[in-house]
Formats: sequence, structure tokens, C-alpha cells
Amino acid sequence: MNGSGARPTAEARSIAQRLTAVIAGALVLSALLTAARAQATQTATISARFSPERLGAPTTVSFGFSIAADGGGLPSALTAIDFRYPSQLGLGTSDLGLASCDPATLRARGPKACPPNSIMGAGNALAEFQVSPEISEETATIALVAGPSQNGYVNLLISATGTYPVAARLVMPTLLLPGHLHISVPLVPGIPEGPDVAVVQVHATLGGKLTYYERKHGKRITYHPRGIQLPKRCPRGGFRFSATFTFLDGTQAQAATVVKCPRRR
Amino acid sequence: MRPARLTLTIAIAAALGMAGANPAASESSARPAHEAAAHTARVVSVRDEGHLRFVDANATVIVDEGSVSGTLPGRARVNFTYNGSPTVTARFAIRTSGGTLYGRASCRLHNPTSPVPSFRGALQITGGSGRYGHARGSGELFGVFHRRGYALVVQAIGRLRY
Repeated sequence: MNGSGARPTAEARSIAQRLTAVIAGALVLSALLTAARAQATQTATISARFSPERLGAPTTVSFGFSIAADGGGLPSALTAIDFRYPSQLGLGTSDLGLASCDPATLRARGPKACPPNSIMGAGNALAEFQVSPEISEETATIALVAGPSQNGYVNLLISATGTYPVAARLVMPTLLLPGHLHISVPLVPGIPEGPDVAVVQVHATLGGKLTYYERKHGKRITYHPRGIQLPKRCPRGGFRFSATFTFLDGTQAQAATVVKCPRRR
Repeated sequence: MRPARLTLTIAIAAALGMAGANPAASESSARPAHEAAAHTARVVSVRDEGHLRFVDANATVIVDEGSVSGTLPGRARVNFTYNGSPTVTARFAIRTSGGTLYGRASCRLHNPTSPVPSFRGALQITGGSGRYGHARGSGELFGVFHRRGYALVVQAIGRLRY
């Protein structure tokens, strides 16, 4: 009796254990799938370009990125960008940023209040914010400005100025490290109780049509800086650019691009 | 690229131990004449300065050439590397009437957004040819980098053994 009475209990235990294992497995799988979905809620693309494209010659470097929510709608707010560029580019030897601008001045009065020789480039940005149920856009102008150096590195100040519908200016300081930039993006609140403003597109150029000033024989003369020197030889596989974008929802998106080898000078 | 004029003054402490350049600092070992003829060690205190012009550039590397004056006068060619990091390096060769000296320097660059950032660091003489075939030395390198015209102004102070 005891023996026959104990058998169903053991079977029941075995079934229960198998069921528990199946449920646990399903939960783990579900969690993994959810995590995978969470990791892919934003996608990013980047672009880069040299102009002119001549090895061994000075050039301007243009770069940009676009961010989109996977299912459409408003992407999560961007909080940081890790940007990697070819360390062979002559950013150190460039003649961009021959003066520095006080970050407080830049924040309060904009890039026009900075010394002209501190301006290293320009660009524009597009941001989106929710005005329920619709999504509105705001464009901003970007200025790349040399700030006071830190530990011997050039301190690149990225200023973004929006005028309509919201007038605001952000200044993001970042150290211009060889081959690497880390940009912390401050959060910009949207409408009350709504999500933060999301940056969805940026395009900027280092160098370009800049006017600098110098003194020669007591006179102030204008000139155009040469820009960034390209190496005489192309890196194998071209000039590689990549970026990792970090968002407020904890996810990241990565993107990469290659500028193919330009022809020799 | 517009011809950039580079006033690179490279004071290379490395210098060229010209005979009698600094007799007080010279030492000769008391070895037999045939050995002395083979190699007589000599130590010279050097203080040199050179003005170099921009010759070529390859992204992070700037090449300059020019005359060097001071204890060991001659003609110098310098490869100056600055990739945005505050540590800049220079490799140089100095041709003199008695031979050529080779060396390198690693310096810290200050105030990179100035039109003329300064740098300072250690230099080493790593070898040479002719009279300086066995040259070794060390010292300090000081200088400024003219970012507009790719100019360097450098002064070097050190000791050379050859």
C-alpha cells in the first residue's frame, strides 16, 4: 500500500519538476527576447566625407548621423555619443582653433561672441519632441568651437542653438582625443509629463568656409585656414568611422561607415 | 597646399661634437695610441638652436629642415609628430662636417589652442655616422610650434658622448 501509494506522488513530483523546468526555460527565453527587443529600439546610421578628397592634402571632414525608433515614433532621448575616427587624420597639426572661447560666453551669447579663430566648424541638427499625439520638429545650428585646453588636449565645445519653437542653446564640451570623441548629451525636457526631446539627425563639418585673422606688419589680415591634413597613404580598407549612441532608455545603437580611399594628390 | 613657411628653430642638444667646440668638457681616455685612434671617448656639453623651414607634411607628421647653430653647427632634418595627444615626438638627423647625428625626443605640448603652443621634454642621441658613429647623449628639448606656418622653435641642451 505504502509502496503503491508512494508511486503516484513520485510521478507527480517528476511531472511538476519537468513543468517547472519548461516554465523556467520559457521565462528565460521570453526575458532574452524582451532584452533583445529592448536593445534594438533605436537604429542609427552615420556618414562621413572629405572635401576635397585628395591624399596628402588639407581637407574638411564632414560627418553626420541619423537616429530612428524601430517601430516609428519618437526615439528615446540621446544621452551620449562615442565617436571614433581614423587617428591618421591630422587634427593635431591642423590650423583650426588658433584661439579658445570661454564656455560661459559661448553658452550665454553664442558662437558669434567667440574669437573668430576659435571657430573650427559648423553644422545643423534636427530634434523631435512629442506634442501629443503628434511629433514636432525643431532645427538647431551647430558650432564647433575650440575651448580652453584640458591636460594638453583640445577641448572641443559643441554648441547647438535652436530658435523655434523653443529658443535654447546647449554647449557640450568634449576632449578631442586622437581617434576618439566622447560627447555627453544633456537631456532637454519636452512638454510637461512628456518624453525628453530626441535628437534624430546631425550634420557637421570640421573646417570649411572659415575666416581667420592674423596680424602681419601691424595690420590685421584675413585668411582661410587650410583644414585637416589627410595622410599620403590610405589606411587599409579606407578611413573607418564608427559611433556608439547611448539612449535614455538604457539601450545603445552602433553604426559605422568607411570613406573609400581618395585618389592621390 | 599653400607653401607654408616654417620657422622651425630646432635647438638640438644633440649636437655635433666638432673638435675644439668645447675643449673644457672633452675627455680622452688614457689608452694606447692605436686604441685611441680606433675610438676616443669624448663628452661635450651642447647648447644648440636651429631654424628649420617646412618641407613636407603627412597628416600628423611635419617634416622640417634648416640650419642648426650653437655648440655643434650643421643642418638638421626633423620629423615632428603631433596627433592631438599632448605628447609630441620628434626624430631628427643633424649633418655636420664630421658626420651625422641621429636622435629622438618626446615632449609635452602645452596650450594646444594657442597659435604657437610650446613644448618641452627629453631628447636622446641614439647614434650617428662618421665621427659620431658611436654617439650617445641625452638632454632637454624646448620649443614652440607655429601652427599657422608649421614652424618649430627649439632649443636643446644636453651632453653628447662620442
